[in-house]
Amino acid sequence: MVRFQGVAMRYANGPEVLKDVTFHLEAGSYHFLTGPSGAGKSSLLRLMYLAHRASRGTVKVFGHDIAATPRRLLPGLRRRVGVVFQDFRLLDHLSARDNVALTLRIAGVREDTIRAHVAELLSWVGLGDRLDATPATLSDGEKQRVAIARAVIGRPSLLLADEPTGSIDELQGMRILRLFEELNRIGTTVVVATHDQRLIARFNHRVLRLADGQFSVERPTNLSGI
Amino acid sequence: MARRQFDLPFANDGSGRFLPWMIALMVYLASLATVAALTTREVVESWNAGLEDTATVEIAPGPDDAATDGLVARAMAVLRNTPGVAAADPVPIDEIGRLLEPWLGPDAARENLPIPRLIDVRFDPGAVIDVAALSRALLAAVPSARFDSHGLWLDRLTALGDSVQLAALVIVVLIALAAGATVVFATRAGLAVHAKLIELMHLIGSRDSYIARQFQFHAMSLALRGGVVGVLIGALTLGALTVMWRPIQEAVLPDLTIGATALVALALLPLLAAAIATLTARITVMRALKQMT
Ligand SMILES: Nc1ncnc2c1ncn2[C@@H]1O[C@H](COP(=O)(O)OP(=O)(O)OP(=O)(O)O)[C@@H](O)[C@H]1O
Ligand SMILES: [Mg+2]
Repeated sequence: MVRFQGVAMRYANGPEVLKDVTFHLEAGSYHFLTGPSGAGKSSLLRLMYLAHRASRGTVKVFGHDIAATPRRLLPGLRRRVGVVFQDFRLLDHLSARDNVALTLRIAGVREDTIRAHVAELLSWVGLGDRLDATPATLSDGEKQRVAIARAVIGRPSLLLADEPTGSIDELQGMRILRLFEELNRIGTTVVVATHDQRLIARFNHRVLRLADGQFSVERPTNLSGI
Repeated sequence: MARRQFDLPFANDGSGRFLPWMIALMVYLASLATVAALTTREVVESWNAGLEDTATVEIAPGPDDAATDGLVARAMAVLRNTPGVAAADPVPIDEIGRLLEPWLGPDAARENLPIPRLIDVRFDPGAVIDVAALSRALLAAVPSARFDSHGLWLDRLTALGDSVQLAALVIVVLIALAAGATVVFATRAGLAVHAKLIELMHLIGSRDSYIARQFQFHAMSLALRGGVVGVLIGALTLGALTVMWRPIQEAVLPDLTIGATALVALALLPLLAAAIATLTARITVMRALKQMT
């Protein structure tokens, strides 16, 4: 599903923020990605959702070597990846409904199908009465839930969530993570970047850990003490 | 469901403010140039029609008067049998004498000098005359006949009219190019303003064509709005000119009221502007996005 081999990454001419990262995410797996602030979690996700090219090494997503993939094939690959951005990245002039619908519109889904699905999903994340609200009138937690809805509405085969519970209360957070579990059960590969060690402890999943430029993969059994 | 708004927030990016006015100005100028071209064409055609109504046949004299009369009679027969000829009148010999007086002296006609004969020809107004065929028929009947259809004059007038029309056409083409350039700049500005959102749309799987469509429809609606305003002001200007010129016009020029062709052309201008804007925006966006990852 995702394979990194000796990957390094830098922004423009800056220093390498990731060095020699190697791992493999199997289809249908569920990983937490953790590490201190500034360790490069968001940067690693950027490589996975094809927002950035590796400066060294090989990134393969869905079997495609991204460095060698022609530009015209990228939209197709990106549609199979759902992303919850750390800063949400909602479109401020669009309603919650249209923000979520955008994923489907871009993919050319019929408007009546879009309407039904979007309303249902937004109700599910507790925003059934805020369908027409613009992001400016939503709380951070509500924005985050819109962002999550936008990421999962297209049934992605790879779901990347960057601090998806950072702005919501614990109860809502658990609800969201259960949604991810459910999506994972029906085959979605999930990566959740988070600082929250309690969250990691509550679910029994593998952990990708970034610290001091070091990258490691931990089995869930190693985590029983945390 | 009401037509939803654009995915990109064009409403507050500034390009919506100046583009329609630029397009309005250009369509306004184009409407004046277009009507000028079409009016010139009508004027030339009506002059053509006026002069085409008349012609002169000149017949070189035969060995004696009787022979010459015979030639004139043969030419008259040809003219009478030509459809569209309303009248053919031999110019009386005395009058020809008077015309020639300055060159041949007062008594030329009476002294049996061989003088050429003239026939005034008047065509039915509006009749389509094949001048070349008529000329050939006359030559066949009377080898010494010379048919003068005032063609030289017409050719010169037509050439003048053609060059005015060509100039107007060039102006319209230049305006179209300027409109295209304006749309290119507005679109590039829009791409820069919305770069972040365009990146986001790419990241959630948007193809370039989807993003281009947003810019296309936006440019089209702005150009259409500007174009309608421009052509309306153009029509008002032309209406005012027509009213002001009517007294002069009736004396000198043929009727210059704006015809159906001109109205259709005017109505097409905003659509043309919209088409140019749409196409230009698409090409601009597709090119720019190819540079992005
Ligand atoms: N757009 C950028 N341009 C230049 N440097 C960047 C950019 N984004 C991040 N960085 C740098 O890359 C490094 C890793 O940042 P990143 O955002 O990946 O960390 P993170 O683990 O997601 O942190 P956090 O937990 O605070 O979200 C940091 O040193 C940061 O300063
Ligand atoms: Mg981060």
